[in-house]
Amino acid sequence: MLLLVWAPKAWHRLSHLKPSALLWTPGGKARHVRCQLLSSQGPGETGRQSRPQGPGLRTRLLITALFGTGLGGAWLAARAEKEHRRQQQRTEALRQAAVGQGDFSLVDHQGQARCKADFRGQWVLMYFGFTHCPDICPDELEKLVQVVRQLEAEPGLPPVQPVFITVDPERDTVAAMARYVQDFHPRLLGLTGSAEQVAQVSRSYRVYYSAGPKDEDQDYIVDHSIAIYLLSPDGLFTDYYSRARSAEQIADSVRRHMATFRSILD
Amino acid sequence: MAAPSMKERQACWGARDAYWKCLDENTEDPSRCKKLRSSFESSCPQQWIKYFDKRRDYLKFKEKFEAGQFQPSKPTAQS
Repeated sequence: MLLLVWAPKAWHRLSHLKPSALLWTPGGKARHVRCQLLSSQGPGETGRQSRPQGPGLRTRLLITALFGTGLGGAWLAARAEKEHRRQQQRTEALRQAAVGQGDFSLVDHQGQARCKADFRGQWVLMYFGFTHCPDICPDELEKLVQVVRQLEAEPGLPPVQPVFITVDPERDTVAAMARYVQDFHPRLLGLTGSAEQVAQVSRSYRVYYSAGPKDEDQDYIVDHSIAIYLLSPDGLFTDYYSRARSAEQIADSVRRHMATFRSILD
Repeated sequence: MAAPSMKERQACWGARDAYWKCLDENTEDPSRCKKLRSSFESSCPQQWIKYFDKRRDYLKFKEKFEAGQFQPSKPTAQS
């Protein structure tokens, strides 16, 4: 290859070497130089020999480049096709999960039966707790409701549905839930149910809960995992926020999810 | 027993905070804060009082721990 660059001088120098010494150079060169030596009559011949090599080589390079581009293009196309298929499979899996996973059948604080499909098309911020909670549940619900209010104040954003699900179905009846949620936000929806229904929804959302020992007043505290869950309008679990996140941080995150959301169910 | 309403919760938290403030000022000596203690006990359900007492213990322990006042115990001959 490098010989090409120094071509003019090289021919001249090579012409003094023995033919056999040039056997190892790239095919074309050796042939050329031998011809040069054999037909040592004048520059005319060498001129005639050297010219076809230039464009010939260029053509070869061009063909190689085109072929390479073709191969590269085919590879990229195959990769894109594979990626597309993978996306379709994932969308299909998500669609199935959206319908089946995380479903629940509970009763709201006005006595209406509710299941997950009722919230299709809405963003939902969900918190699990109990009404006899000393401080954590009121704090987290206050934070959740602050997020809802912040987002309500912004024009162009869809409303977020706040939901409070009890992990203490024994004491948190419909009436108890109604009394509790009114203190936080007019749209805060309380959900309760039978022990089995609450167990089922807690399993779906991986919420741990365990009622503590009862005291003389039959009062007890329920130990439970603390998190605020975000569900997308497709009903899919989208994000969760621990106790450490502030209302502003949660609102920012919800806003970001809203901006990038694309429904897979319609 | 019905759950405390928001007002009752806030009364309880206020009494708790006053009691804790008194403890802070009196180096955890409960005998100096008897009045606030009884006010605290009357504002909150018993379960909550137990819960808040444990929480207080935990918070104090955490303070001490973060200030480095706990040393690892000496290794025994076996370990």
